[in-house]
Amino acid sequence: MNFKKTGSVVVIGGGISGMLSALDLANSGFYVYLVEKGPSIGGVMSQLDKTFPTNDCAM
Amino acid sequence: MADNDTKIVSFLCNWCSYGAADLAGVSRMEYPADIRVIRIPCTGRMSPKFILSAFREGADAVWVSG
Amino acid sequence: MEYPQAVPLKYGINPEVCLKLTKDKCGTCEEVCPANAIDYTQTQETITLDAGAIIFSPGFKPFDPSKFDNYQYVNYPNVITSMEFERILSASGPTMGHVTTFPKLPAKPKKKKDKLLAKKRKSPKRIAWFQCVGSRDMNKCDNPYCSSVCCMYAVKEAVIAKEHAGGDLDCSIFFMDMRTPGKEFEKYYQNAKDKHGINFIRSKVHSVTEDLDTHDLQIRYVDELGQIVTEVYDMIVLSVGLEITPETKELADKLGIEMTANGFCKTDSFEPVATSRDGIYVSGVFNNPKDIPESVLDASAAASAAGDALSEVRDTMTKQVATIPETNVVGERPNIGVFICDCGSNIKGVVDCAHVTEYAKSLPYVTFADENMYACSQDAQDKMVEQIKEKKLNRIVLAACTPKTHEPLFQETLKNAGLNKYLFEMTNIRNHNSWVHKNNPELATQKAKDLVRMAVAKAALAEPLKEEKIDVNASVMVVGGGLAGLTAAKSLATQGYDTHIIEKKDQLGGEALKLFKTAQGEDVGEKVAELIGAIEANEKITVHTDTTLEKVEGFVGNFKSLLKTGDKTCELEHGVAVLATGAKSSEPTEYGFGQDDRIITALGLDKRLKENDTQLDAINSAVFIQCVGSRETDRPYCSRVCCTHSVDNAILLKTRKPSMDVFILYRDIRTYGERELLYKEARELGVIFIRYEVDKKPVVVIEKDKIKISLNDHVLNQPVTLETDLLTLAAAIVPRKDEKLANFFKVPLNDEGFFIEKHAKLGPAEFATAGVFVAGAGHYPKPVNEAITQGRAAASRAATLLSKKDNLFTSGTIANVNVEKCSTCGVCISICPYSAPRFITEGRFEGKADINAVLCKGCGLCVASCRSGALHLRGFDTNQIFSQIFALGEVV
Repeated sequence: MNFKKTGSVVVIGGGISGMLSALDLANSGFYVYLVEKGPSIGGVMSQLDKTFPTNDCAM
Repeated sequence: MADNDTKIVSFLCNWCSYGAADLAGVSRMEYPADIRVIRIPCTGRMSPKFILSAFREGADAVWVSG
Repeated sequence: MEYPQAVPLKYGINPEVCLKLTKDKCGTCEEVCPANAIDYTQTQETITLDAGAIIFSPGFKPFDPSKFDNYQYVNYPNVITSMEFERILSASGPTMGHVTTFPKLPAKPKKKKDKLLAKKRKSPKRIAWFQCVGSRDMNKCDNPYCSSVCCMYAVKEAVIAKEHAGGDLDCSIFFMDMRTPGKEFEKYYQNAKDKHGINFIRSKVHSVTEDLDTHDLQIRYVDELGQIVTEVYDMIVLSVGLEITPETKELADKLGIEMTANGFCKTDSFEPVATSRDGIYVSGVFNNPKDIPESVLDASAAASAAGDALSEVRDTMTKQVATIPETNVVGERPNIGVFICDCGSNIKGVVDCAHVTEYAKSLPYVTFADENMYACSQDAQDKMVEQIKEKKLNRIVLAACTPKTHEPLFQETLKNAGLNKYLFEMTNIRNHNSWVHKNNPELATQKAKDLVRMAVAKAALAEPLKEEKIDVNASVMVVGGGLAGLTAAKSLATQGYDTHIIEKKDQLGGEALKLFKTAQGEDVGEKVAELIGAIEANEKITVHTDTTLEKVEGFVGNFKSLLKTGDKTCELEHGVAVLATGAKSSEPTEYGFGQDDRIITALGLDKRLKENDTQLDAINSAVFIQCVGSRETDRPYCSRVCCTHSVDNAILLKTRKPSMDVFILYRDIRTYGERELLYKEARELGVIFIRYEVDKKPVVVIEKDKIKISLNDHVLNQPVTLETDLLTLAAAIVPRKDEKLANFFKVPLNDEGFFIEKHAKLGPAEFATAGVFVAGAGHYPKPVNEAITQGRAAASRAATLLSKKDNLFTSGTIANVNVEKCSTCGVCISICPYSAPRFITEGRFEGKADINAVLCKGCGLCVASCRSGALHLRGFDTNQIFSQIFALGEVV
């Protein structure tokens, strides 16, 4: 490829997966734009009560 | 603390119970205002001396949670 | 604001209903907001971002069951979705965690009709869950796939509901196949049945009717014996599936990425997070239905794929923060500054903050106290920096919200003012005070004063703490040369780290070499050969075959391992390790295995398919038996891969020779996600599925010309006998159970011998031991695409550590030893879960304990158990905790 690469990444979606992708990238030297449609991040997981199989709190 | 009040000293683990107490606030639960929280890094940090000392300082109950 | 735990915890305006925005009326919020945060002029802006890669993680929507007329979700108040039930169980939900009927009504209903219904509210006695609502269904909706998560969440909801309601709640789950193929899931299912008494009924309920008066629900279904049963329940929970929204599909179209017929992203088993478009990666449920740990693995894997592609421009866009030199305060008299935050009205609405501020000024060592409307706002922070400098404050106390979210922010503020960040003490007068005592302002103010006094007493004893720099050797050791290990090695080498692969056998590839096709039909042999080629061509990778690990020393950033190849040994220094030792197929001990060549394992059949054995064409009847050695008392887990493997191979046989009779004898078919389509295809091709019970297993009799298998047919409820030429056993996948390796790295194994990861949900590719990562079937049996995802995820997690090699520091709040007092008793060494304390082996203090700052997690266990008082926990030292207790005892 001849064009110059950019050291930043756009992550679309602020659910558990998007948030952790963003964290991994930011912690390994990339600038991250986390884009979320709603007013807050956290996605579906933050609305769950507990998680299987350990019955840990989802928050 | 006024002498006629109940005094509860609670030692809460930073990683679980302290966070749970935070969540109780976020959820706007209500409980009596007799508790004073001391944040500890882990209940592993608890020493019997802390419990005895709290009683000596006039605590009616000590609550260790983690 | 969506819910009380939202991040950011800020209110937004819904422009569709705001009177000011729609009709230019009202405007009350602007008047009452003390922070002047309301700005009606903000509109949608289009921002253009330049980026090197995109990670697409749009998620899903729970299926909307409104259109199902047989379950009457819209009309019956006691028919709810599982997502609604989840909120009911939650302490922060609409019913504060109490399970009640009519949960869809508002807590304090206003409408007359709702008020009447609310009077009928009761604690339910019987709740039913209906599985596969919006999944595995082509009649009522177009979702032929399995949503993968509903079986487990229904079991969980039933267990938790019983926990909330007590023993007399009757919970029944109506299901087609119970799909619990994840790690520790099968045990959870068995416990739900045996210990919690949840009823599991294998049936699809066809209709629900409501009692007009009580609103109880009558259901009709056909039980396993073919009888029609009618039962009454108080509440029905619909276990709704996961669905991709039309908006997501539209956006995916715009991005130009290919999707499957069901709207999930199309990916290759060997590049499971790469979309069809270069530079766009996918993670989460859009990349096939999955649960949280798999989404987490996807997330890290997508980050590693993006990192691979952009490795040469790493660190080009990130910004370096300028550091301010630290003022030395050692030996100075404490000069404490106290800041009281109003948090708008959150604290001030209850606590008399001005009074608390005045009170703070009267406390020992306090030379300054100030009240802030929002201490965390940028202007308040700037002001705080100025005040610290101006008043020469050397200890800071903040009474505000919780340190768990805001301590790091204020520690930054201290750093900006040139103070060591550990000279800070935060006390929580919001979550632990104003929010929970809102009806008792007087006591809340008193409590705030007590808390501030305690914090001041502790802060007076605070000392500046040093964070030790950790030197990280930027090279990697991968143990295991199977798919997961090779993937991790390739990614880390691409990102520029020297990588060593340790393989016990004489060649790379692992168990994948024995596989024929993936569930998506890719040729495994070909792809593995490609991967091995890429590994061997990569200059950054050194492959050590025929090699075993003899010894491992050290800790994160500085491991030293002894490798043994033949009789030669060599030492390898590395910063991190990835354990990818895999698993293997077990040798069956039943169904006549080993007594006849016609009885083989799934891998045996793969071998024959791989070799294109023409004898397979001579076979007229083939039988597969599932769960051979899995889901048994001595091996109580599901091997996850076998259902798909057998279904896939059945299809291959049936396509090869359509006249062949193919039978699969199973307990539950667990073709999760879009693998369900294979199950559907197999049935359409005429593969016959017969279910058996674990206590009535098929009986195999070997005869000269045929193998005879007898079992009870679940549909006919009659014994049947099948005659076959080929019996394939789905043998359990068993771990290597490498205790030696686990001990080397101090990582745990579960009862069956699989590695235990750091966190079942949020840390699935790493261990609690820092710098050690896990990937592949050694963690749990998994198919090709999942092993590769985990390999990539482990690489990504390792890269976050390796790329920080110049600024990785220990925490300041760790234990340290006063050697003068140490009595060499060794209690700290035996009690520490992280192996941080050790005896000094040479020099003046030989025999005394010492703490390895890198390994210490600051839990304080050793400090509490030290008999001679030689151990101290910085930041939470004994005198500091005593000072808090004493401060509490002072009567005001």
